[in-house]
Amino acid sequence: MSTTIDLNGFLAALDRIQTEGLAAFASVTDASQLEAARVKYLGAKSGEFKDVEKQLGSIDKSDKRTAGMRLNEVKQALKQALDAATNNLGTAVSTHQGPLVDLTTPGTSFEIGHIHPITQTIEHLKEIMGRMGFAAAEGPEVEDPWHNFVALNISDDHPARDPLDNFYLATAAVAGGKGEWTGHLLRSQTSTVQIRVMESRRPPVRIISLGRVYRPDAADATHYPMFHQMEGLYVDTNVTMSNLKTVLRVFANNYLGEDVNIRFRPSFFPFTEPSVEVDFWWNDQWMEFGGAGMVDPAVLSAVGYDPEQVTGFAFGLGVERLCMRRHGITDIRDLYSGDIRFLYQF
Amino acid sequence: MLVSWTWLSRYLDLSMSHEALADALSLSGLNHEETLDKAGEIVIDLEVTSNRGDCLSHIGVAREISVLYDKLLQLPNPLPQETSLAAQEVAKVRIDYPESCSRYTARLIKGCKVKSSPAWLANSLKAIGIGAVNNIVDITNYVMMECGQPLHAFDLAKLAGPEICVRRAKAGETLEAIDHKSYLLDASMCVIADAKSAVAVAGVMGGASTEVSPSTRDLLIEAAIFSPMSVRQTARGLKLHSPSSFRFERRVDPAGVDWASRRACELILELAGGELLQGVLEAGTAAESKSPVVLRLSQIERILGIQVDRQIVVRILTALGCNIAEPQADPLSIVAPSWRHDLSREADMIEEIARIHGYDKIPENSPISVVPSARRDWDHAMDKVRLVMSSAGISEAMTPSVVTESLDQAMSPWTDRSALETITPLLKGANRLRRSLLPSLLQSRADNWTAATLEANLYEISHVYLPGSGPHELPREQTNIGVVSGQDYHGMKGLVETLVNRMGCSATLSVQPTTSPGFDPLRSANITLGEHLLGYLGHIDKSLAQRWKLPSQTCVAELALDVLLQYSTLVPQFRSISPYPSIERDLNLIVAESIRWMDIESSTRAAVGHELASVQYRETYRAPEKDGANTKRLLFSVQLRRDTATLTGEEADAMIAAIIDRCTKEHGAKLLA
Repeated sequence: MSTTIDLNGFLAALDRIQTEGLAAFASVTDASQLEAARVKYLGAKSGEFKDVEKQLGSIDKSDKRTAGMRLNEVKQALKQALDAATNNLGTAVSTHQGPLVDLTTPGTSFEIGHIHPITQTIEHLKEIMGRMGFAAAEGPEVEDPWHNFVALNISDDHPARDPLDNFYLATAAVAGGKGEWTGHLLRSQTSTVQIRVMESRRPPVRIISLGRVYRPDAADATHYPMFHQMEGLYVDTNVTMSNLKTVLRVFANNYLGEDVNIRFRPSFFPFTEPSVEVDFWWNDQWMEFGGAGMVDPAVLSAVGYDPEQVTGFAFGLGVERLCMRRHGITDIRDLYSGDIRFLYQF
Repeated sequence: MLVSWTWLSRYLDLSMSHEALADALSLSGLNHEETLDKAGEIVIDLEVTSNRGDCLSHIGVAREISVLYDKLLQLPNPLPQETSLAAQEVAKVRIDYPESCSRYTARLIKGCKVKSSPAWLANSLKAIGIGAVNNIVDITNYVMMECGQPLHAFDLAKLAGPEICVRRAKAGETLEAIDHKSYLLDASMCVIADAKSAVAVAGVMGGASTEVSPSTRDLLIEAAIFSPMSVRQTARGLKLHSPSSFRFERRVDPAGVDWASRRACELILELAGGELLQGVLEAGTAAESKSPVVLRLSQIERILGIQVDRQIVVRILTALGCNIAEPQADPLSIVAPSWRHDLSREADMIEEIARIHGYDKIPENSPISVVPSARRDWDHAMDKVRLVMSSAGISEAMTPSVVTESLDQAMSPWTDRSALETITPLLKGANRLRRSLLPSLLQSRADNWTAATLEANLYEISHVYLPGSGPHELPREQTNIGVVSGQDYHGMKGLVETLVNRMGCSATLSVQPTTSPGFDPLRSANITLGEHLLGYLGHIDKSLAQRWKLPSQTCVAELALDVLLQYSTLVPQFRSISPYPSIERDLNLIVAESIRWMDIESSTRAAVGHELASVQYRETYRAPEKDGANTKRLLFSVQLRRDTATLTGEEADAMIAAIIDRCTKEHGAKLLA
C-alpha cells in the first residue's frame, strides 16, 4: 500500500519549481546556461518537474483533479519560459553539425555598372532647371558660322572667330579676302542650340541647351579642348535682369544645397547686353559660376523676334567645373580617360 | 592692364584704400586680377574686356574711378611751343593703304638730346613692367600708357627722302624690327615706308634702321590710327604682339590722336630739349562726329527690372563723358564720347547705367511664372538605356570626339566616306571627327589593361559624325551607344536583346552576317529592328585584337539610338494575364546544318498562331554518328495557351503535330524519335 501525499505539499513544491524555474529561464545568457536550466527543471529523467510529476500517483483520488490541473499549468509555464529563453538566444541552440559558418566573410558581390560623373551632373542640372520650367534641348556639334557667330552678334572681324580659337573643319574655305572665316566648325558654345530653337519657335521660349563644346586649349589639370556647357535661355514679354538674378539664386541654392549669395560683375559677351559674370559665395569665398546677361537685341532680331515686343535672359556655365567641385575631382583629364579606376568611384 | 597708384594719383585724388578701389573696379567692369606691392609702389592688375579699349590706359582707368567715386578728373592740356619753321617744309606724309590706316599724323622736333630719362619717368614705366630705354622712347611709351594711343618716334635723319608713305608691304619684303629680328612681310600687311624701304610694321613695331639712338638729333613723332583687323592679322602672321598692336586691335580714341602727339612733344621739349616745328603733318580723315543714341527711360526698367531716377541716369552718363543736350527730355538723346566705341545703342547705355549704378541694386525676388515643362522622351529613354547597361555591369565612359587617323581607320561601320578633319588637332595628332564610337572604346579597354591589368567593360553615348555628300553640307550627327566587353557574341547579343525588350520594342530584331572591316566575319552581324538598321554587333577581328594587345576575346556593339527610340514604347501598356494554364512541350528536331534557328522559330510561330504563348530555344546538339553528317539537333520548348479556355491534351497534341509538320515541309526537319 502506497502512502498518500499531502495535496498542499504537492502544490507548494509545484509553486517553488515554477517560481525558481521561470527565474532561471529568464536569467540565462547563453546556450549552456539554458541547457543547464532545461535539464534541471524539465529534464526527462530527473528534472525537478519530473520528480513532482512522479508523485501524482500518490495523491489522494479526491485531490487528483486539482493536482493534475496545477501540474499542467506549471508544465506549460515552464515550457513557455524555455521557448522564450530559446528565442531570446536566437538560433544559437541549433542542431548544426560540422564547422561553423564564418558570418564575417564578405557577401557575394555582383557587378553593377557606373554612370559617368558628367552624366550625373547633367541630370542633376536638368532636374533643377526642369523644376523652374526649363526644358532641355540639344543640337548639332558641327555648326555653320551663322549659328555659331553671326546670329550671336559676333561680327566677321571679331577675334572670337580666329582660327586659333576654334576648330574649323579642313574642308571649309578658311580665310576669305578680308579675314572672314566662313567654314564649318565644331561649336564653341551651346548658344548655337538657342539660335536653332528660337528660329523654329515663337516666344515664350524657356530652355536649357546642353552638350559638348570645343575650344583649342592645351590639356592640363583644369583645361581640356572638349568640355560640356549648360546654357539657359528665357525669352518672353516681360523678362528682366531681376528675373535672371532670381533664377540663378534659386539654382545656386538648389545645387549647393544651402542659402547662398550671388553677385553680378560686369563683363562682355557679344550676344548679351548687359553682360555679367556671376559669382556664388560658397565656402567663404566668391566662386565664379559662369556668364549671363540680357539677350542682345541684335540676337533677337537675327532670329526674327521683335526686341520691342520681347526681352530675354541667357546664362551659361561649364558642367565640368561644377562636377569637379562637387566630387572633389582635381584633374579634368581623368573625366575623359576611360580609366575604370576613376569611373568606378562614381 | 597694370596701373600704378602713383601714376593714377596724377589725375585725381585717391583717398580710398587700394583694396576698396580694386573691389569697386571689379564690380563695375574692370576685373581685379591681383595687387602687387613693388617696394611701396602699389600696382593693380586689371582685366580689360575686349570692348573696353579705352581702359587700356591710366587716364581710362582714372576716368572710371572718377565716375565711381564722383571725383574730379584733372587731365594735362599739352600746348607745346612751336617754332616758325613749318613742318611741311621738311617732310610729308601720305596714305596709300586706307583700308588699314584711316589717319596718319606726324610732328617734327629738331635738335633734341637723347639721354636717360629722369627718375619719375623711368620709375613710372618700371612699375608697370616696361624697361627704360632713353628719354625719347620712354616718353612715347609713357604717353601710350597714359592715354592709350600708341606712338612711334623715328630718327628723322635716318629716313630716306622727305616723304613717309603708309602702304602695303611688297611680297617678299623684309624688315628688321627694333627687337633686332628680321620679319618677312606679305602684301596684306601694312607698313610705314620711306622712299627706299619699309621702316615700321604699321601699329605693331618700328624698324631698327630708323630707331632713336644716342646720336639722334631730329625726330618724327608718329600718331596714327591703324585698323584693328589689319593689325591683328599682321601681328598674328608675324607672331609679333606688342602693347601697341594690343591697343590698335581694341581701337583707339580717334579724337585722342592729336592730344597724344602734343603730349609727347611737350614732354620731349621739356626733357630732351629741341624745337617743335610748326604744324602737324597729316593724311586721311579726321574723326567723324558720332550720331546720338536714343534712350527711353522706360526701357531701363523693362530690361533691368528696377527704376533708376533720371538724375542718376544723367549723372552717370555725363560723368562717363556722354553729351546730353536736353537732360529733362524723354527719350534722352545721348552722344557717346569719342573713346567709347562700344556705346552705339540704347541697350549699351542701359548697361552703362546698370554697371555704375551697381548690380547689387537689382533684387533677387522676382520669380518667373510657373509653366509645365515635361522631360523629353529622349531623357526617359536614356535613363532606361543606362539602367540596362548598369545592370549588365557595364560602366559609362566619355572619350574625345576627335580622334587620330589611325583610330578613325580601325572601324567605321556606318559610312565609307572619309572622316571630316579639323585644321587644328583637338589633342596631339587627333584631327578626325569620329565616325564610330568603337575605336575609342577599344582604345580605353586596351589602356585599362596596360595601366592596371583591368578588364574594362565600357559603353559611351555620344555623337558620331557621318559626312554628307559635299564639302558644304553639315555632317549627319547620329547619337550612338557603343559597347565594348569581354563577353562572347551571344553574351553581347543578349545584352542588345535585353535592351530592345526593356525599351518596349515590339518590332522584330534580326541579324545578318556583316562584312564591315574590323569585325570577325564569322562572328559578327548587323542588326535590324523593324525596317531599320539598328547597328552592329560582334567580335573584333584578329588584327585589331593584336594591334591593341587585348588579353582575351573582345566583343563590341554600336547602336543608333534614334532607331531604338523610334520603336520603343516608353509607357508600357498592360496586357491581361490569362487565367488558363499553359501547356509546355519540348521538341527535339534533327535538321541540316544549313537550317538556322530563326527558320525553325518562324515556322513554329506560323504553325500555331496566337495560341503559341512562347517559344524558347534550349540548345543545339550534334550526333552525326546517329543522325548522319551535316546535321544538328535543335532543342526547344513551346508554351501553348488559349486565352478563353483551358487547352485539352488532344488540342495541344494537334498543335505540336502542326509544328513538326510545318518544320518538316519547310526545312526537312525530323522529330527525334
